[in-house]
Amino acid sequence: MSTVVDTAPVPPEPAPGPVLQPRRRRRPVRSVVLFLAMIVIALVMLYPFYFMVDTSLRSQDQFLHGGGHSFASWSILNQALPWSRQLLNSTIVCTASIAIILFVSSLAGFAFAKLRFRMSGFVLLAVIAAMLIPVQSIIIPVYVNVARVHLLNTYAGAVIVYAALGTPFATFLMTAYYRSIPDDVVEAGIVDGLSYGAVFRRIALPMSVPALVTITVLQFIQIWDDLLVGLLFLQNPDQRTITVGLGALAAGRTTDIPVLMAGSLLSAIPAIAVYLVFQRFLINGLTAGIGK
Amino acid sequence: MSHTPLVLDPAESIPAPLRRQRSALERKRARAGLILAAPAVGLVALVLGIPIIQAGYYSMTDWNGLTATWIGPSTYLHEFQNPIFWRVLQNNALLLLAVPVAVAIPLGIAFLLNEKVAGWQVFRSIYFLPTAISWVVIGMVALRFFAAEGTLNSLLSSFGLGFLHTDLLSDEHQALLAVGLTFIWSMLGTNTIIFLTGMATLDQSLAEAARVDGASTWQILTRITLPQLKRFIQFATVLTLISAFTALFSLIFVMTGGGPGFGTTTLEFFVYQTAFARGAFGTGAMLGIILFAIMVVIGLAQLRLLRTED
Repeated sequence: MSTVVDTAPVPPEPAPGPVLQPRRRRRPVRSVVLFLAMIVIALVMLYPFYFMVDTSLRSQDQFLHGGGHSFASWSILNQALPWSRQLLNSTIVCTASIAIILFVSSLAGFAFAKLRFRMSGFVLLAVIAAMLIPVQSIIIPVYVNVARVHLLNTYAGAVIVYAALGTPFATFLMTAYYRSIPDDVVEAGIVDGLSYGAVFRRIALPMSVPALVTITVLQFIQIWDDLLVGLLFLQNPDQRTITVGLGALAAGRTTDIPVLMAGSLLSAIPAIAVYLVFQRFLINGLTAGIGK
Repeated sequence: MSHTPLVLDPAESIPAPLRRQRSALERKRARAGLILAAPAVGLVALVLGIPIIQAGYYSMTDWNGLTATWIGPSTYLHEFQNPIFWRVLQNNALLLLAVPVAVAIPLGIAFLLNEKVAGWQVFRSIYFLPTAISWVVIGMVALRFFAAEGTLNSLLSSFGLGFLHTDLLSDEHQALLAVGLTFIWSMLGTNTIIFLTGMATLDQSLAEAARVDGASTWQILTRITLPQLKRFIQFATVLTLISAFTALFSLIFVMTGGGPGFGTTTLEFFVYQTAFARGAFGTGAMLGIILFAIMVVIGLAQLRLLRTED
């Protein structure tokens, strides 16, 4: 296509500048300037991490009066924040919620993409539209409902809420993914005498591993980092996730900044680790909503 | 969908008995579909669908979590006369000013990265890193950054600008600026990645052709590159807009608790405060419904934009 345009010798309108020769030559000065600009931005983005590391390696006294480093704050962190317990809580809540999300969204995605039933288009639309509902709009009735069935301050209560909040987007993603698998693949399985459930388990599900990983990474970060749901549904300090524990500690207006920073850093490390390993999947999930 | 018009529709060539078999198969398929979709639909209906209807009902009562007396739609009119409600909405409106900034800066950063100078992939990873961090943690650091004896002031004085000494967070009319700046910072990574993804899809030949035709860099940017990125700019804008309305709870909770006064109380934070600090569940539910209505408007506007493009 471009070759046609390339042969047109006369510009449609006169170029405004005197520059007419082709650009895009390698210009070392320009590269250096760009590189420096990128360094500056990197410093801005990395500042919080530097601040957390530096501050957590000071005692309260060293932080306030600006001298020296020590592990004092790390050694008393456990008194302010039962972090080992709370890291475990975060892991339990994340694992259970993500397991439910993966289970229901892969089944539903397969159903919406390949097993169209009466009104399935409408139902899918309703599920996806639920993405528009902000947590704050439903949190009060949900809180009261969960209290009524005696699931307040249990992992189960928080897990159900997290799972439901993650399901619309996960279902959207899985449906889009299964739609990209040709119908023939499913038909062939049926012709070979498999049930629809078996086709899902043995053919479709193994093919959708990348989408499942994307959902897992996205939801892990979402749930691990959440404050509001945990704050309301897990009010017992021994059940709190690390992020909620930290949020509650900060709201108590703790004045020991180095301890808070040690806790912050600790709570961020698992999410950073997941990010570094699965960056590509996170990006996929983030941009999946754009469509084509 | 099919682009092979010369091939006969396979359904037409199937003899009658086979077709009956096929419809039995179709019934079986539909049943399987219903069963497989049920858990997801049930979960969403139970925890999102029914509660939003409950919220709609309770928004017209004086619910305290246990008992509710029906009042009617006048609860809304009553709230619209509450000056604090408008103060809160004003905070939301002011935060909207951050949205264009939170979209424009990442667009610039993405262009920078897209030059693919040595090491750009490492920089990309660094810029995207904050996306993994909880806003609780970000808020905690931001609190120290903006504090009277915090990093911002030491930066200012080290540049000889000590007279600009700030204490944004303890001023009712400036605290929102600190929250807004933190919000912009938090969105940088996400939006940059969205634009980088968009730039990877660009049709380079168009820009090259224009260049050969003598178009200036500015012309290429505004007439070719940006229009091609339109979908991505739109997506980033909507995402940022939705975040501004619904994702700042943790940040506000940690940084200001909504104060000083109502200086940083946004609608989403007001829902929480009203219901769980004041125990006014009915009013909280109503504020939640108003927030939901705003989201629906944004959603419909986005849908409309997408439609007009086609």
